[in-house]
Amino acid sequence: MSAVRSEKQFLWNRQSPRADGMALFAQWSDDRTVSFEANMMKVHLTSVAVGAACVTAVALAAVAFTPGAIAGPRITVAAASDDGEWTMPGKDYASTRYSGLSQITPANAAHLHPVWSFSTGVLGGHEGQPLVVHNTMYVVTPYPNTLYAFDLAQPDYPLEWKYRPAVSPNAVGVACCDAVNRGAFYADGKIVYNLLDGHTVAVDANTGKQLWETTIADVSNGETTPMAPFVVKNRVLVGASGGEFGIRGWVKGLDLQTGRVVWTGYNIGADSELLAKPGQFKPFYDHASNLGAATWPKNAWQTGGAPVWGWMSYDSTLDLVYYGTGNPAPYNPEQRAGDNKWTTSVMARRPEDGTLVWAYQFTPHDSWDFDATAEMVLADLRIAGTMRKVLVHFDKNGFAYTLDRTSGQVLVAQPFVQENWAKRIDLETGRPVVDSSKLTGASRGNVKNICPTLEGGKSPASPVAYSPRTHLFYVSTSNMCMDYQAVPAAHIRGTPYIGANSPYYAGAGGYMGAFVAWDASVGRKVWEIKERWPVWSGVVATAGDVVFYGTLDGWLRAADARTGKILWSFKVGSGVVGNPITYRGPDGKQYLAVYAGIGGDWFLLAGDVRSDDPADVRPPADFAKDLARHTSQGGIVWIFAL
Amino acid sequence: MRQTMMQRVGRPAIVLALAAACRGTKAGAAPPQTDAPLAITYPSHIAAGGAAPHGATLTNPYAGDTAAVTAGAALFTAMNCDGCHGAGATGWVGPSLADGRWRYGGTAGEIFSSIYYGRRQGMPAFGGIMPAAGIWKVVTYLQSLEPPNDVPTESWK
Repeated sequence: MSAVRSEKQFLWNRQSPRADGMALFAQWSDDRTVSFEANMMKVHLTSVAVGAACVTAVALAAVAFTPGAIAGPRITVAAASDDGEWTMPGKDYASTRYSGLSQITPANAAHLHPVWSFSTGVLGGHEGQPLVVHNTMYVVTPYPNTLYAFDLAQPDYPLEWKYRPAVSPNAVGVACCDAVNRGAFYADGKIVYNLLDGHTVAVDANTGKQLWETTIADVSNGETTPMAPFVVKNRVLVGASGGEFGIRGWVKGLDLQTGRVVWTGYNIGADSELLAKPGQFKPFYDHASNLGAATWPKNAWQTGGAPVWGWMSYDSTLDLVYYGTGNPAPYNPEQRAGDNKWTTSVMARRPEDGTLVWAYQFTPHDSWDFDATAEMVLADLRIAGTMRKVLVHFDKNGFAYTLDRTSGQVLVAQPFVQENWAKRIDLETGRPVVDSSKLTGASRGNVKNICPTLEGGKSPASPVAYSPRTHLFYVSTSNMCMDYQAVPAAHIRGTPYIGANSPYYAGAGGYMGAFVAWDASVGRKVWEIKERWPVWSGVVATAGDVVFYGTLDGWLRAADARTGKILWSFKVGSGVVGNPITYRGPDGKQYLAVYAGIGGDWFLLAGDVRSDDPADVRPPADFAKDLARHTSQGGIVWIFAL
Repeated sequence: MRQTMMQRVGRPAIVLALAAACRGTKAGAAPPQTDAPLAITYPSHIAAGGAAPHGATLTNPYAGDTAAVTAGAALFTAMNCDGCHGAGATGWVGPSLADGRWRYGGTAGEIFSSIYYGRRQGMPAFGGIMPAAGIWKVVTYLQSLEPPNDVPTESWK
């Protein structure tokens, strides 16, 4: 491990509205927000290395305090174009997770070292990513969904405030696969995020005071809300999980100023409720009306799933928001004959009123729980000699799709991992050519050796990055296969609606994951780094041609974006299922931040479950017996620098 | 025979410890509680003053009935219990019910209560849709499960 270096890391001025010395004020400003103000004007500090554990630098501040000018409130204007900041989950509306910062390069990445860490005290899976806006870092924890605001302009990054919402614990048991949260969105001076129990909140980014709270989902009906909201203009777009509880999936558009629900667009059901208006809804491949109901047995769509728990993108020129829908319910496909539109699909809507403009279904009549909730990355790529406005999507089903984002036409579709459920994607029809021996159903018994698994060739919770410098996509993948035994399932409101057992095992080659560089213009793998376990973190790409990802056994890695050479690794204390980000600090330096904290399905599979509860002890999954030997639960926010 | 942690510690030990901690309180000298509504007993809870409150002790009418074990296992699937607690009740999002350890008590009556009334953290109350006989069969099934052999030690050697 790199040693903690002793160097002056902070030397700048910060103006504060209060000027009464080094006193630290902690005051209860309301029942949810604790506010901290530390007032210091000029700060000189040195770092001190601590212990062999090499955890972080402890800042010793020698403070020269100068009372002086009183400044106004912190400015909190969105600056998405400023590469020093990270204001939304995917970095930009195109969801590239690409930063123009370039101080960290293949030549110096080996000198990265931790400069700060913070325990969240929460054991759930730390998916999602911090935001950095105007020298404040915002962190949302898994349930209980505490929001922290760290002052990056002061040594030791003390809290400005923390916001502690009242979240119903019922949501913990209704969330299908751990009580995760995928992050917040900064817009118009507000931090907007979802509480797990079906609420969206907006919090003043400066004061931590709650501005509004809106009920968007019903936990007693199987809906939970781990996704990050997506803000476009004056709309906050949100959706709900619950594909394992037989919900009827939707997206809602809230008013950014008040939280009022302006529109609701369902993903399944009649066209009118999908906001698929005559003459305006034009899917590239499907032309019949009411397919969201007609491709189901009578009324089956009412409990048919199609949840929304992933990521969204926005093209301002086309004025279209893109998002993916999840699996059809139940997992036993024989209870829902038909294509089951628009489950496992990409939807293109107008943000203002939710109008559905086009949709494309990746996996018609999904028999394998292949949610399509993974991110839709927008890029302009040269396809067969012509520049195209495309949308690139790495689906759970193992295919990487390059679509024309104006129309929904499939331009390229190639497997990015080992898969065997489909022979190929027919570009004329847009449909997969399915291997019928891999179709599942209660009457088909235990169908063996299906690749990939229902965890996905890539986890939708682990978003890719795209570098416009290399024109490559960087993808965390899983190399696993499964047996799938479907059984009849009864829908009982408030209980799971599943109907399948599906044990996993490593795919050919014996490794369970790989970090892959992908050329979406032609559908080709350029390089890969094999990993022992599935790779379950998001990715950040940088103008320094370094990409960052983490592993389930708790290593954060830097790799050369052009060659795939591992440049640096650091063990962060728990498996990484979150998404690294990079930003420019107040000192002008490039920093890297990431959550440690294994979770999602992996806290269920590793055997290291509920490490705070001695009344719940269980063995690991057969294929992951060793994982808990290398990591355990627990959330930590890490910051690294050169 | 499975043991809960409390059963291993033993109630007498708790009574003694509490009696020692609460000097001046006579263990077992609780006033009669005939004015309180009858509630289910939770024998694993610590009794203030060493005096357990009056309460109903539920008796499983199917205790030891192997046919009820089979029927309870079928109900465990049919009522979607396995969707949260996993096949064989070995745990998924919901806790393992097969490890011999219980969040809310492992006596037949305590397990019955958990199913009938539900618990925080999302355990639904099934008392509104399942007859008591069905809940007792699920209890009988769960109490028949043998803990896995890596409780409490999981070794990679």
